[in-house]
Amino acid sequence: MRLPSALAALLLLVALGACAARPPANDPEALAEFVETNDPLEPTNRAVYAVNGVLDAAVLRPVALAYRWVLPQPVRTGVRNVLGNLRAPTILANDLMQGEMQRAGITGARFLINSTLGLAGIFDVAEDHFGLRGHSEDFGQTLAVWGVAEGHYLYVPVLGPTNSRDLIGFAVDSVLSPWFWFGQGTAVEALRYSRVGLTVVDAREGVLDALDQIERSSLDPYAVLRSAYRQRRAAEIANSGVQAPQSAMGTGIGIGVPPARRDGPPSR
Amino acid sequence: MTPPNRIARRALLALPAALAPLAARAQAMDPQRAAAFIQSTGEELVAVLNSSAPLAERRDQVAAILRRAVDIEGTGRFILGRWWRVATPAEQQEYLRLFEESLIRNLASRFGEFQGVRFSLGRSQARTEEDVLVTTLVERPNTAPLVLDWRVAEVNGQPRIVDLVAEGSSLRLTQRSEYSSVIQRNGNQVSALLAAMRAQNERLR
Repeated sequence: MRLPSALAALLLLVALGACAARPPANDPEALAEFVETNDPLEPTNRAVYAVNGVLDAAVLRPVALAYRWVLPQPVRTGVRNVLGNLRAPTILANDLMQGEMQRAGITGARFLINSTLGLAGIFDVAEDHFGLRGHSEDFGQTLAVWGVAEGHYLYVPVLGPTNSRDLIGFAVDSVLSPWFWFGQGTAVEALRYSRVGLTVVDAREGVLDALDQIERSSLDPYAVLRSAYRQRRAAEIANSGVQAPQSAMGTGIGIGVPPARRDGPPSR
Repeated sequence: MTPPNRIARRALLALPAALAPLAARAQAMDPQRAAAFIQSTGEELVAVLNSSAPLAERRDQVAAILRRAVDIEGTGRFILGRWWRVATPAEQQEYLRLFEESLIRNLASRFGEFQGVRFSLGRSQARTEEDVLVTTLVERPNTAPLVLDWRVAEVNGQPRIVDLVAEGSSLRLTQRSEYSSVIQRNGNQVSALLAAMRAQNERLR
């Protein structure tokens, strides 16, 4: 499905969707929680979550499990590194738009080093030999830095948890990427689709254990994901040094972030 | 020579400054102490997780460590949030019992995953006036390492774990949202949460 039709389908879903009842003003605690949860479209979101869960159990999760089973960890790390390297121009653009010049410098240097010495990004030479640690950025974060509010919480098929701002950010990032414009012909199209497919599988594999654990131990997995997504985004936007997951469902923000190291998370 | 009354006055003036560190220590958690506490508790946990003792024995050992290291009552009350006051005293007691049990059972159900686990201390930093966030790196075989931050507060003069932060999200905040959602979706009945927790603990048995 192309992006515009996906967005149209989503908008239709939102328009048709029911709304959660806002608590009355005479119950300030319930109202405060309603505002904090930021999910007025909860009934629609839960419906999408349920449908997505069925699709995920039938297709995405088995594919991710097979991917993990067939390819050894070093190969999967290589794939993740290549995908992360392909995201570098997007990260760089967002670093710049946020005025984070030092981080932009790191991202630019990493892209140059890993694309060449790292053999098209397979190896993270920039981190291993030059100490240049990667980070992730996306246009949703840039909008947040610019002061744009997050809008309503949304649960989107395949992408998972997001919100209005981050979903717009995701669309902008897709168009902002040079790979969206670069080249033409069947071979390039095939590469483009492979990248999208691999990104989805890699992201799903990256959250296999976390999502299985939530599914197994939580009394309300939907509420857990919603809360975790919001908190993690707040930490990422603040660049608070909190390690982002190496890959994440949702807006795919974590892709391009290396795993944690013995020396602990980066300070900034 | 300084007159004696001036010495006395100086001593009096110096007194608050001398006592200030003591007062501060009584309120705030000392980062070094918090880190040492996480180090020793973590070592105990890892030893049990990696031991070859029977499952039931390991579960009892983990339960003992958690009861000692975690502020179960404070954390449990924080997580129930505004519903704590809605709950009857009997429900409150039952909730705390179920909360403790779920904590222990959840960890016990994951013993297999933690086989071969190692952990190391990162830098620790004082976050607020009351607690300290201690960073650890948790490594398991064949799995990417994970950064876990432990929030340590002083409870009755002893360091206690009050929260666990993974990838930017706090367990107690997430769990508060989860429990509240269960209560709200069941007609604002705290008893519905208790039933769900009971069933969950049964499943993890």
